[in-house]
Amino acid sequence: MRKAIKAAFFGLISMAFVGSAIADITFVSWGGAYTASQQKAYIDTYSKGSSITVENYNGGLGEIKAQVEAGNVTWDVVDVLPDQAITGCDEGLFVKVDQSEFINDMVVPPVSDCVVPQIFWAYTAFYDKAAFPGKKPKNIKDFFDVKKFPGKRGIHTWANALIEMALVADGVKASKVYEVMSTPEGIDRAFAKLDTIKDHVVFWSAGSKPLELVSSGEVVMALAYNGRIGAAILSEGKNFEYIWDATVLEQEYLVAIKGGNEAEALEFMAHASTAESNAEQAKYIPYGPMRKSSINIIKKGEPWFITSSGNIDILPHMPTTPKVLKRAVIGDPVWWADNGAEVHERFGAWKGS
Amino acid sequence: MNQTQTSTGPILTTDGIPLKVSLKKAERINKIRAFLLVLPLLAFILITFLVPIGDMLARSVDDRQINTVFPKTFEVYKKWDRQGLPSEEVYKTMFFELKNSEGYAVGKASTRMNYSKSGWKSLLKKSKRKFKKIEEGPFKEKMIATDKKWADPEYWLALGQMVDPTTMGYYLNAVDLKYDSSKNIVQQKENRRIYNKTWIKTFKVSLLVTLFCLLLGYPISYLLATLPMKYSNLLMICVLLPFWTSLLVRTVAWMVMLQQKGVLNNLLVMSNLLADENRFQLMYNQTAVVIVMTQILLPFMVLPLYSVMKTISPTYMRAALNLGASPMHAFYKIYMPNSVPGVSAGCLLVFIIAIGYYITPELVGGKDGQMVGNWIAYHLKTTLNWGLCASLGAILLAMMTVLYWAYNKIVGIENIKLG
Repeated sequence: MRKAIKAAFFGLISMAFVGSAIADITFVSWGGAYTASQQKAYIDTYSKGSSITVENYNGGLGEIKAQVEAGNVTWDVVDVLPDQAITGCDEGLFVKVDQSEFINDMVVPPVSDCVVPQIFWAYTAFYDKAAFPGKKPKNIKDFFDVKKFPGKRGIHTWANALIEMALVADGVKASKVYEVMSTPEGIDRAFAKLDTIKDHVVFWSAGSKPLELVSSGEVVMALAYNGRIGAAILSEGKNFEYIWDATVLEQEYLVAIKGGNEAEALEFMAHASTAESNAEQAKYIPYGPMRKSSINIIKKGEPWFITSSGNIDILPHMPTTPKVLKRAVIGDPVWWADNGAEVHERFGAWKGS
Repeated sequence: MNQTQTSTGPILTTDGIPLKVSLKKAERINKIRAFLLVLPLLAFILITFLVPIGDMLARSVDDRQINTVFPKTFEVYKKWDRQGLPSEEVYKTMFFELKNSEGYAVGKASTRMNYSKSGWKSLLKKSKRKFKKIEEGPFKEKMIATDKKWADPEYWLALGQMVDPTTMGYYLNAVDLKYDSSKNIVQQKENRRIYNKTWIKTFKVSLLVTLFCLLLGYPISYLLATLPMKYSNLLMICVLLPFWTSLLVRTVAWMVMLQQKGVLNNLLVMSNLLADENRFQLMYNQTAVVIVMTQILLPFMVLPLYSVMKTISPTYMRAALNLGASPMHAFYKIYMPNSVPGVSAGCLLVFIIAIGYYITPELVGGKDGQMVGNWIAYHLKTTLNWGLCASLGAILLAMMTVLYWAYNKIVGIENIKLG
């Protein structure tokens, strides 16, 4: 018996060594329907040798910085927000990549030298149609109007997009939002508008939470990542409706972490950022591809989105259609990289007061 | 008996060495052996506990990130009288140090500079790119031409906070103070004052949780200690089962129970005890944090209490009753004082765990239930302001040390009993 245990023990140890000899990639993303779409679109189809482990996180550069500083990098490819893509690249946490392959095919130029294109997504307000049998909320003003549409609102725990939306609801033009935000009075104005819904908000931090809040009736309207709303409508048959007004359009990128399995990571990122991969992802989640040619692939391929009861046209659910873009705020990651810390502290003070 | 030896000379062993020396020798080997046995643990504690704490304390005052990039600028900066704009010399030194420094170092420095004045980050990044084309002065005008922020004294004044390689700035930040441009300590802008409030809230929540744990835990432990084995075992399992259940599962279960359209409110509305529009707001606020944390931390109160109560002999109470005390009086005079070591151990344990709690306030805290731990996590993950994280952590550590010290003075640490 003892021998058997010993043998098993050494077997396990040697397995651990053999296991680490093959360079695997750890791919870190946001979980839920979003990671599922990445899995189906380009992780399952990846066949260049390295096997890919998927992990979830809730954003932020803290863990990456800790790994790089400690010299113990376990994440290889990470899905990051644009302001973090800028900071991480500036501070040398990410590997610089060769962008010649896609740089002329992108809808907007990449935010830094370390990124490959992923998707456009948007903070979007939505509601359950059942919650408003009569008049339905139409724009962001209605979201901020608790007299006209009583009930709780679900909003996220950080300030991004809330400032922009509050200003649009207060009458600022979507295209002028960042101009106003660059003045101290502009920020005051946004917080004054936020004050009007303060006693009616429920906060969320995980992307799946606003859907639960609206489904359970805990809130009547919420902000969420548009793709999650779309996936809930299309795949789960939820009775949700978007409020396509003052949606805040954000970019999403993949980066390779310095000190990880860099070569394998870059190879995988090249695969994950092809026009085909970008388009393929839209079969499973309605986020907008960042490559122009991906949009053409989808247009030709409609109905593109896969559900259990047949395919559905995906373009109407995208945050990048001209109709939506006309009323959208294009998120400015540089502004947030600059002013994020200060505004977040103020937002924290606002939450707690 | 033949005990006539009255001399005070040392007792000798058979080979003539004093017994004490010989004993010491034998014990030394044992001591070394014992030390070798604890050595792995000692090394473990050193590496995983003391070194990180030391590192944290160092980070909370370290301000070299930026001083390594702009050392000369700071030297000439110190001569500036802080009126209007700095001289050409300051601009010129800044220009060359920025232009010639390594990109990543500038990236890190700009993150730091951005804490004192928002906007430094993009200013440095853009300027570094544009400066490549500039070869000669006058630098002041040329720099201002590339970006008019260079003509904004606010940016220059903000540098004044960073001139020294060590700083108390992070500690000030952690209590809503800050340095002004000439290093006087002033209050933080009103709409950014959050930490003092958070400290008070953290203390309040931790105290409430400790109090409720004690109120709930004391009777349970008493039952556990006094009931016959077959009932008390069952009760013990009821205490331990949630203890073994995942923290997240329990927290989420509470969310289902307490939210406005949750089980509790639904039951009350269904049984007509509550009007539909008056549903209790029990989730996503401070109340929720206190309720959920009390349930989660209850075992940490019950277990030490139980182990102490188990050792209180029932004969004490019987004796008291026998001598004519009423049951209440006997309990108050005899049982309670005997259980104090368990009470203090439990309270200290629960309070210490509660004060640094993070995940439960994050999930159920909503807008007014966020504690210090949540701000540490936020700065750790999002703003990368690890200096501030370190100072918040160090203050927590100091508070615990003071608490422990005060406790030792008042109750005496030898009175703590975990079993």
